[in-house]
Amino acid sequence: MAVQQPDSLTPSATVPQFLRGAELVKQGAEARVYRTQFLGRPTIVKERFSKRYRHVALDEKLTRRRTVQEVRSILRCRRAGIPAPAVYFVDYTSHCIFLEEILRSSTVRDHIASTQQSELEQLAQQVGQILAKMHDEDVIHGDLTTSNMLLRRSPEDRGSDLVLIDFGLSYISALPEDKGVDLYVLEKAFLSTHPHTEALFQKLLKSYSASSKKSSAVLKKLDEVRLRGRKRSMVG
Amino acid sequence: MNLTQELELFPDHTVTQMLFKEVKNAAELRQSAVDGRINGALINPTMLVNPFQVLVAANKAVHLQLIGKMKTRSLNSEIIFNLSPTNNISEAFKRFGTSDGDESVMLVVVHCKNESQLLEDIAAQVDGRQVPVEDDFEKSYSISLEETCGTLLDAVVCRMAIKDVM
Repeated sequence: MAVQQPDSLTPSATVPQFLRGAELVKQGAEARVYRTQFLGRPTIVKERFSKRYRHVALDEKLTRRRTVQEVRSILRCRRAGIPAPAVYFVDYTSHCIFLEEILRSSTVRDHIASTQQSELEQLAQQVGQILAKMHDEDVIHGDLTTSNMLLRRSPEDRGSDLVLIDFGLSYISALPEDKGVDLYVLEKAFLSTHPHTEALFQKLLKSYSASSKKSSAVLKKLDEVRLRGRKRSMVG
Repeated sequence: MNLTQELELFPDHTVTQMLFKEVKNAAELRQSAVDGRINGALINPTMLVNPFQVLVAANKAVHLQLIGKMKTRSLNSEIIFNLSPTNNISEAFKRFGTSDGDESVMLVVVHCKNESQLLEDIAAQVDGRQVPVEDDFEKSYSISLEETCGTLLDAVVCRMAIKDVM
């Protein structure tokens, strides 16, 4: 049976057309995020858009590569047992990724903001562990913030588990430098979003160190990157 | 009895799943499929975890047909290929397609909205007893899966969606 489409609709317009009926959740520098129903399931659609200032062929290649990297990173994490949304469909013509919507969850950011620090120890430990696992798989998240980590409540209320989301800037790398930078990004985001949580972050790093087989090299690089940061004197 | 879902991305396309038990003519059906005489995909239901799996495979197949990038020769064979987590076509057919001697068959048809006559005609080719498609195949097939059945489906579906770039 041949597939028919109205003449005015090119293949790469199928998904954007569909998205007009979807709820726009977020507009970022790289992509738009929508919520909708897909094949009977609540779904998140991530649409990377073209950058007009780029040369067309280059833009196409770059955008495609980013989409592929994102999707590969998600699968790598999942294979290693790290919770990340399941991918339902990828349209490489419109650079759209259809992902599982994680229901019954809240961001770690919101959780920290509404919880006493004394009760956040376990969370810090969990985060450290999950990041250690991810880096041991050589997946660099690229945009680690507490908004990109979800706490999903389990159905029978058996506590909650952590789910990593937004792998838009992710890539594969074994270099301790890249992992160190990944942690540095989290540290900056963490401390600026949640004031006076240095001790908590230290616990996170401790948990990371205990859970990762390659942590010492990474933490060494983290120290170096910290020294390199903005407004740091490289003298002496 | 049938499970029907319209493909949101391809509004003129609807996917209907029909499950049959005590099938006596699996060999004949398989030959019809190979010859292109049956307008549906014949799938081995013991390999299925959930109807959603079939929908994901069908959606991808229709998409690839539309952009002219199918890996197999027909929409129906593409659906079967998409069910497999690997890129080996013959392996996909062997594991997910109907084999001679199979006693149960899942028939999947991609069609326009109200084509009940077409579905009846295709279903008539199967010599077996039609049973309802359950949301949870585990119930129908007593496959022993652990509690994390939901996760298993997600794992399967995710692999299906990404395999071409892994």
